[in-house]
Amino acid sequence: MASSDALPGPRRPRPLSPHLSIYRPTMTMAMSIAHRISGVALYVGVLLLAWFLIAASADASSFAVFSGFISSFVGLIALFLVTWALFHHLVGGLRHILWDAGYGLDAPLRDQMAWATLIGGFALTILVWIIGLTVR
Amino acid sequence: MGTTEARLVHLTSLALVPLTLGFVWLMIDLLRKDYNGVRAVLTHPIPAILLLAFIFAGIVHMELGMRSVIVDYIGGHSRSWALAANTCFAALLALACLYATLRVAFT
Repeated sequence: MASSDALPGPRRPRPLSPHLSIYRPTMTMAMSIAHRISGVALYVGVLLLAWFLIAASADASSFAVFSGFISSFVGLIALFLVTWALFHHLVGGLRHILWDAGYGLDAPLRDQMAWATLIGGFALTILVWIIGLTVR
Repeated sequence: MGTTEARLVHLTSLALVPLTLGFVWLMIDLLRKDYNGVRAVLTHPIPAILLLAFIFAGIVHMELGMRSVIVDYIGGHSRSWALAANTCFAALLALACLYATLRVAFT
């Protein structure tokens, strides 16, 4: 039995996922979306790391431009958001590793793990900023 | 995603757990330092190798993650272009970061 895809002629348009609007929102769904958003944010945020490294490899005046930006209001907000995205994605990734191994998929625990991602990611961000701003 | 990509996403995600903690620890130190201070730290092998490993694993993971986002939301010919652009962007970014780190470490 041949699949219709194998037949000659114009290809059928392939379905795109996901159809978010037909589902009742749940915490696991919200954290799934947040995992993707934080991942995409890090895709952009890594440009800050690239800028930092390139400036450090160039000369003192290039580095001063980076330093000026990262210590400005906009720079600090960007750094905070990147830190949050990093820790949210890290904790969310641990949750996915556990789920992929078959743990924590039952009804109460999977929602608790989704909440733990949100709270844990934010808590680690605040902790790192407290260390960064106070410990010398 | 195929099996190869899925396995690479898992492998890099596991590697990135300790690497990210080390990276954040390093950046807390580096972001307080000036030009000469940053360069002095990165001439030491442990912070430099940590940074190289984080960049490598992180950018491979990032490229694979964006691949699944593209495949989910973009169809047709645009999909091929988006996938190619993603791979080229990630490769250039990785090379730039690795080159910059090595240049600081060895000069």
